[in-house]
Amino acid sequence: MQFIINSIVKNRNLIIYLILSFITFSFLYNNSTLHFNELGKISTYLSATSSKFSSSITSYFNLKKENEKLISENLQLKKMESNYKYTQIKEDTLNSINSAKVIVNSINKSKNIIIIDKGKLDSINLDTGVISSKGVVGIVKNVTNNYASIISLLNTDLRLNAILKNTSTIGSVTWDGLNARILKLNDIPLSSTIKVGDTVVTGGMSFYFPKGIPIGKIINYDNSSLEGYYEIDVEIFNDFSSLSNLYILNRTDNNEIQSLLNE
Amino acid sequence: MNRELLKNILFYTIILALQLLIFNQFKLFGFITPFIYLIIFVHYKITYDKTILLILGFLIGLIIDLSMQTYGCHTFSTITICYLRGRIEKNSFGVNANLPSAMIKDTPLFSRISFFLSLIAIHSIIYYSLIFFNINLLSTIFLYAFINSIATFIIIWIISRLISNN
Repeated sequence: MQFIINSIVKNRNLIIYLILSFITFSFLYNNSTLHFNELGKISTYLSATSSKFSSSITSYFNLKKENEKLISENLQLKKMESNYKYTQIKEDTLNSINSAKVIVNSINKSKNIIIIDKGKLDSINLDTGVISSKGVVGIVKNVTNNYASIISLLNTDLRLNAILKNTSTIGSVTWDGLNARILKLNDIPLSSTIKVGDTVVTGGMSFYFPKGIPIGKIINYDNSSLEGYYEIDVEIFNDFSSLSNLYILNRTDNNEIQSLLNE
Repeated sequence: MNRELLKNILFYTIILALQLLIFNQFKLFGFITPFIYLIIFVHYKITYDKTILLILGFLIGLIIDLSMQTYGCHTFSTITICYLRGRIEKNSFGVNANLPSAMIKDTPLFSRISFFLSLIAIHSIIYYSLIFFNINLLSTIFLYAFINSIATFIIIWIISRLISNN
């Protein structure tokens, strides 16, 4: 206590100066329009700067929540998009889209598998297509109660029906196991006209994906093959090394089509 | 002591009257108004209480503000130079800073000029900064402060010479 009193006595001139300055500025602020306006501007600037600073901190801590909110919004948009875009499928056949997070992923093997955090309990079914916001990712191959494994496009066992978006020429995409950004588009006859930059999308002739989901774009092709088909390199739209949120397309007519094939 | 106090009060009153009645009406080139009341703070003896100096500065500044309708610009400039006066003395007079009066004989002329000019210039810069209160008018603020400081310095120097001769 004595220390505080001593400090006040020692710095009394500074304290008196600050008090008198405060009184003076109050006088200025209350009586002069110019100073009222200018001090008001300074006060607005200071409060806006401090609010921006504090909001940047709080928003950082809310990032997880915001991310979940965005995923949920994105899911709703995907559902709406599916109703409008994939018009060749009956509206009730693509009855639900689930979102999931990637928990295991690889791109450096020849048979790459992705594991997601949703399973049977979340209505994930076998042989359903999986996409991300940029395009096709793979097909669900195994499901447990809480998890599911996906055969990635970067798996040499996967062959997917595909078409050229502009010409609707039908082919299939496979991966040769070499470059994680490049797929091979096969079965496109030399009679077709293609050019670098053409978009490759799903063909719709499979259980897994409706027509028109993006896969990649042509970056290189070779027409010197003697077999009568192009050798086409397709750059994948998805970056498989940074996959995070995926969407699983549940078609309700898979069993119906399968039963027809089995007969 | 009482005699000295009366003498000081009389001196302050005369200076204030000169400022309010004559120099406040004085507008050289349309804007130069010498602040001769600063002589009070220049001649305030170092042996007197510094807290009293601050309160004196506040009261005198307030009187000038009320008469000139400057809403506190003079008051803030004045209390600031009163607060900084000790440091300005040390900067100007160095080891001789503990002299009983700033205008005492035998102090170097350069030190005296430096002391007078520092007090006046700091006051003028703060005063015009508050008057214009706009960062875009910085050059105008310094121009006004410079010209006004010179005019104030000349008048205060003359009055100081007259006082010390008497």
